[in-house]
Amino acid sequence: MSHENTEFAEFFEASWEPCLRAVVASTGSVQLAEDQVAEAFARAWLSWRKVRRHPAPRAWVVRTALNAGASWWRRHRRELPLGGHDAAAPRDVDDGFDAALLTALRHLPDRQREVIALRVFLDLDTDTIAGQLGIAPATVRVHLSRAVTALRHELSLSQAMEVD
Amino acid sequence: MNDNDELNDSAMLCAVRDSISGLPMPTAPRLDTITARGRARQRRRVGAVSIAGAGACAAALVVGLAAGGGPARLAPQGRSSVPQRHAPVVHLAAFSVVADPDGGTTLTLNSGQVINPSAVRQALAEHGIPALVTANEFCRTADQPAPGVGTVVSLGSPHGSGGIVIYGSKIPSGVKLSIGYRQDSQDGEVSFTLIQAGAPLTCASIPDSGPHGGD
Repeated sequence: MSHENTEFAEFFEASWEPCLRAVVASTGSVQLAEDQVAEAFARAWLSWRKVRRHPAPRAWVVRTALNAGASWWRRHRRELPLGGHDAAAPRDVDDGFDAALLTALRHLPDRQREVIALRVFLDLDTDTIAGQLGIAPATVRVHLSRAVTALRHELSLSQAMEVD
Repeated sequence: MNDNDELNDSAMLCAVRDSISGLPMPTAPRLDTITARGRARQRRRVGAVSIAGAGACAAALVVGLAAGGGPARLAPQGRSSVPQRHAPVVHLAAFSVVADPDGGTTLTLNSGQVINPSAVRQALAEHGIPALVTANEFCRTADQPAPGVGTVVSLGSPHGSGGIVIYGSKIPSGVKLSIGYRQDSQDGEVSFTLIQAGAPLTCASIPDSGPHGGD
């Protein structure tokens, strides 16, 4: 095995799970996320000479996975008559997961979910996230703040409904 | 944002992290399944297809229209019986056919446009390129005529990056170039193979890249 192949194998082994968790947070579906992350790693393998020099290779994988899934998600979101509900969304997580939180995450705009995924699961700081997304650090902070506010609001609504 | 806000935000982000972290994740697939997937993708992508790798004996080449809606350029040298400099220039939104100064012809297919296969076939014919052009199906004959599509088609248009050159003069008599493309594909997949004119066709919804097809 060449040095580059060994390097990719080590990266793959160490990064699979955090990348998968980040994408699960965005998609709400382990199965869907697993496929998207596998696709992203396949692309990373193809472009490893470029990706290995990337300042945050895991972020590259997560972004690629999310982009790979974006068209799928938009297509199905159009096709499903949700009527403001999420019953048909691609969710397959089990009871161990906070379903309300998952629903709240899915309600976030794409960019906010992306910021959450990079911050929470890849531990990237604001400047690095800004660099990855091609936006200003202040914009990252705004997305993060709005995402947290929206999550908090959704969760409070969910709790209120449970009480009712 | 004050300190309290940041603390609250941090708590919320921790809650998100804890919630997802508690979820059991499937184990990573074997590395070779990832690399196999990469190779399969490589075969479908124009940028990753090497004509040299495909070789002169390749049964078919599968490439993509340039990513992001850009064109794939096919720049065939016309058959010697056709005076290329007199061939008409066609510029349409979906495709264009232009005679090159060196006697070749450049065909540009634009992804994201509805491409009329009959119009492409006719334009190629006027440039001396015998072709079967099909949308959303990929046709071949049982026999793969010599010299092989790798001799007739190669990447690298003289007009710019990402181009595809077709050496029409290398297409023998009684042989056609079968060009199949996926009309609505994000990747703008295009397949090339040589077919025997008049022989029964086998058409499929996915291209058969053949034993040497682009890997």
